[in-house]
Amino acid sequence: MADWLEYEAEAVRAAVSAPGIPELEEVRVAYLGRKSPLALALREVRDRDTGILLNGIRTKLEGAVDARERELEGEELDRRLREEVVDVTLPGEELPLGNLHPITQVRRAVEDAFLGLGWEVRDDREVETVEYNFDKLAFGPTHSARSPRDTFFFDADHVLRTETSPSQIHEMEEKKPPIYMVSIGRVYRRDAITATRYPIFHQFEGLAVDRGLTLADLKGTLLHVMRALYGPERRVRFRTHFFPFTEPSIEPDVSCGICGGSGCRTCKFSGWIEMGGAGMVDPRVFENVGLDPEEWSGFAFGCGLERTAQLRYFIPDIRALWEGDLRVLRQF
Amino acid sequence: MRVPVSWLRDYVAIDMPLDDLATRLSVSTAEVEGVEARGVADDDGNLALFKIGKVVEAEKHPNADRLQITKVDIGEAEPRSIVCGAWNFGVGATVGVALPGARLPNGLELDRREVRGQVSDGMILAEDEVGLGADHAGIMLLPETEPGTPLSDVLPLVDHVLLVEATGNRPDLQSVYGLAREIATIYDLPLGDPIGDSPQTRPEKTVAVRIDDFEGCPRYIGNLFENVAIGLSPQWLRTRLFLAGQRPISNVVDITNYVMFALGNPLHAFDFTTLHGGEIIVRRASPGEKLTTLDGVTRDLVEDDLLIADADRAVALAGIMGGEATEIGEATTTVLLEAANFEPFGIYRTSERLRLRTEGSNRWEKGVDPYLAGPAAEVATDLMLELTGATWTAAADVKGELPARHVITFRPERADAVIGIDTPPGDQYALLDRLGYDHDGDSVVAPTWRGRDTTREIDVVEEIARFRLEDVPFTLPARREMNGLLTRDQQLRRRVEDVLAGLGFAEIYTPSLRPDDDTTWKLPEPISVELTALRTSLLPSLVEAARRNIDAGAHEIALFEIARVYLPAGDVPDERVTVAGITLGGFLHVKGVVEALYAALKAEPGFTRAQNALLHPGKTAATGAGVLGEVHPRELEGEWGAFELDLGRLFDVAGGPVVYRDVITFPAVRQDIAVAVAEDVPVGDLVAAARVAAGDELREIRVFDVYRGDQVGHGRKSVAFSVAYQSADRTLTDEDASRLRNAIVNALAERFGAELRS
Repeated sequence: MADWLEYEAEAVRAAVSAPGIPELEEVRVAYLGRKSPLALALREVRDRDTGILLNGIRTKLEGAVDARERELEGEELDRRLREEVVDVTLPGEELPLGNLHPITQVRRAVEDAFLGLGWEVRDDREVETVEYNFDKLAFGPTHSARSPRDTFFFDADHVLRTETSPSQIHEMEEKKPPIYMVSIGRVYRRDAITATRYPIFHQFEGLAVDRGLTLADLKGTLLHVMRALYGPERRVRFRTHFFPFTEPSIEPDVSCGICGGSGCRTCKFSGWIEMGGAGMVDPRVFENVGLDPEEWSGFAFGCGLERTAQLRYFIPDIRALWEGDLRVLRQF
Repeated sequence: MRVPVSWLRDYVAIDMPLDDLATRLSVSTAEVEGVEARGVADDDGNLALFKIGKVVEAEKHPNADRLQITKVDIGEAEPRSIVCGAWNFGVGATVGVALPGARLPNGLELDRREVRGQVSDGMILAEDEVGLGADHAGIMLLPETEPGTPLSDVLPLVDHVLLVEATGNRPDLQSVYGLAREIATIYDLPLGDPIGDSPQTRPEKTVAVRIDDFEGCPRYIGNLFENVAIGLSPQWLRTRLFLAGQRPISNVVDITNYVMFALGNPLHAFDFTTLHGGEIIVRRASPGEKLTTLDGVTRDLVEDDLLIADADRAVALAGIMGGEATEIGEATTTVLLEAANFEPFGIYRTSERLRLRTEGSNRWEKGVDPYLAGPAAEVATDLMLELTGATWTAAADVKGELPARHVITFRPERADAVIGIDTPPGDQYALLDRLGYDHDGDSVVAPTWRGRDTTREIDVVEEIARFRLEDVPFTLPARREMNGLLTRDQQLRRRVEDVLAGLGFAEIYTPSLRPDDDTTWKLPEPISVELTALRTSLLPSLVEAARRNIDAGAHEIALFEIARVYLPAGDVPDERVTVAGITLGGFLHVKGVVEALYAALKAEPGFTRAQNALLHPGKTAATGAGVLGEVHPRELEGEWGAFELDLGRLFDVAGGPVVYRDVITFPAVRQDIAVAVAEDVPVGDLVAAARVAAGDELREIRVFDVYRGDQVGHGRKSVAFSVAYQSADRTLTDEDASRLRNAIVNALAERFGAELRS
């Protein structure tokens, strides 16, 4: 009895202290192998008690050897992995990653701001008739935009639209109020190409037609959109202006994001940056689309996407947006 | 317009800070784009160093032929000795003097110094040295004033100029007086009268003036002056014009310009002796008539052009520019001064046709107050008498029917409803009163100077609104229904953008106008050859963009654009929103891109052989929505792929909402099938035929190998498919699998002579 307990203790000590897999294999052969004292004794067992005792010892020893084996394998893996160190500062594999153009990103930001207000998004044709681009929008006969010096004419009746405003007419002719829509698209003006002007550019133009709309609703809507585009700390003010299709007309300014309104070079020391044009829909425009201006009121506004992109991303030269240069585009 | 503050002060007290004035004008009246400080610095006592002086001695400098040595009394015990380079004055002249220590606008600080051995204890001033003019030919000669008087009492030594950008509907703001009226309204200040109180005696004699076209010219005042002495204008007038941005010319011409800036009514002056028959006729041009204008250009006139003529010929383009032959010159002694009113649209048409814009035409085409000619003539006449020594000898005032003031029904509560805040009716009427409106019961009567832009109630509402803009609160419309959703096409467009960006494409924007000539939509007057015609394809722009990026040394070039193409059709072009891309990699690479796009839209593309001028003739395919292929090696070196798809047609085939299919409950049976077919059988046709033959239970079929070699035989190829059969409602058996396999193999054998290889 005492011998077998001693055998077991000795075998466990040998397994636990085996320094490697080969040594552990030797321990297994010596104490559990076919010619080991334990195996030989088990073959001779005749009585039940001894059998239980010896089989118990075998199970225990097998467990001890297996445990040591897993331990040694773990140590071995750890050792190997420690040798497989990489330079984590090496560059990763280059996977293709494209970019959305800044104008598209601004377009989506505008769309999202208006979708959040429950407005719809539309776009219209770019080759527009004089009727829709000017007449129905109540442009006076001497308005400078009617001049071929300001506007691209194909013939007496067809122009490249000079603003997204014809969408107002299309929308009001196609749908009954209430109307809440923003039109986004390309527009054209006969400007020489400079850092701040390009003869082709993009605008977004909002139109709301409903009962009881006021200048205050216009102001609140623009505040929401300007904050969505430029950040929650921005302020909005109105300045009087003139547009043929709105009355009263205003120009909205947003507080300068560079100086916060205290005055800097970007805002020409005024603290404010011009954002475009806006106003209450002129009753004449309502009459042109068959809506009663005593019943319906509305407001409209338009801003340039390039200008928005310039202000959002601090792009000094608008031409960079049109050159398709990957060095520029991959920044966005 | 450039508006000197010192000039505004003639009509309204300007005591408020100028930045407050600029802001309030910008908000309520017209944008003030800047406030320019002009003249000398007004700090550290600098202004006190500029004084009136009287020249008491003047003689040639002993050591310099071009210099004078003067003694100038500036109200001190002894006159000062000053060396001067100008010769346009002598003893007795009243001049402006800057003393040692004075800082000039150009930064120069004077000191007492010796000039060729003679002490100079100050400087006699020319107008450019104190920022009051551009002239340096001589020193300023001033009216007799007590020596020692501060120079700033006599001249606007310190001044500011407001840079005002008035909108096109406000011709009244094209004048200093009009702006003064707005300032008086904003700050509730009294407004002065522009007309002086010196008595004028209207001469009995008349000038022969005839208006043939009262529509084009409702009024013509002609005042005749004799004994006119042409010369320089006095310094104050020169300075006002200079600060307003107008070059002083001669007293008579300066007077016409001065009145135009002051009141907004352009005037013209003729040398009366050059007018044939001594008469003025306002008429339309005759066919073939010509006129040489002041700028020396001979202009061909058309019958629509309104002219000022004499008995024989045109002498001025009405409202736009005078004629060379009747111009005021140094020898002029008899002047006919024109103060008229012209109809705006005609002036606009003529100036537009001749591409001739002047200070005059800019004002007329906006609609000058038809009642302004009278006051303008009065102010100008005062100045002619005062500044040119002339006598007023004859006069004419011919007028047709001048428009009556608009009577407008106005509801103050309507203004409140539009603006969104209440303004008490009394306050509204008071504001309108300051702007020149009269109030009569339910109506207001618009002032004559607003006759063109205030004709309706909403125009009067705007008058109230513009003075309340800063008080308008921020509210949102109260909505009863909403639809804040992108349309299906707008959502799919975002999907296309995102998929292409995910596949490594950078989005570009390129001009819609190109030098192309494959369209009828070309601009007759483009700004450049590059921007002439509306494009019918995006591909040329993309190829060019790829080239520019190659030249810039870019790697991994892949670009896309979504924009319109303009296909000639009917009255206006058919504008198709189109996506196009270009990428490194050959046909199968770009086909993979197109397949990914279709897959992202849950659509199945079909491919057929096609041709495109920019693409490889053997490696170009069409889908239902457009074209794709390898870029023609003539266009770009190396293997490039490009595609162009019409988004509308692409979205037509895009799948609707996904309906879930059970692919988990019953397992799929996978098999490979390889068949040998003739070389010219398109693989796509084999796949399509297999689909038809096996029906719904063929869940997946993929080509994984195309092999050519001896084992298949010459002119034939082996195509290997991996297929998966699956049913949504039972486990397929081995018998099912072999039934489906046989169906496919038999169909391929029957239609394409395919032989089963494994």
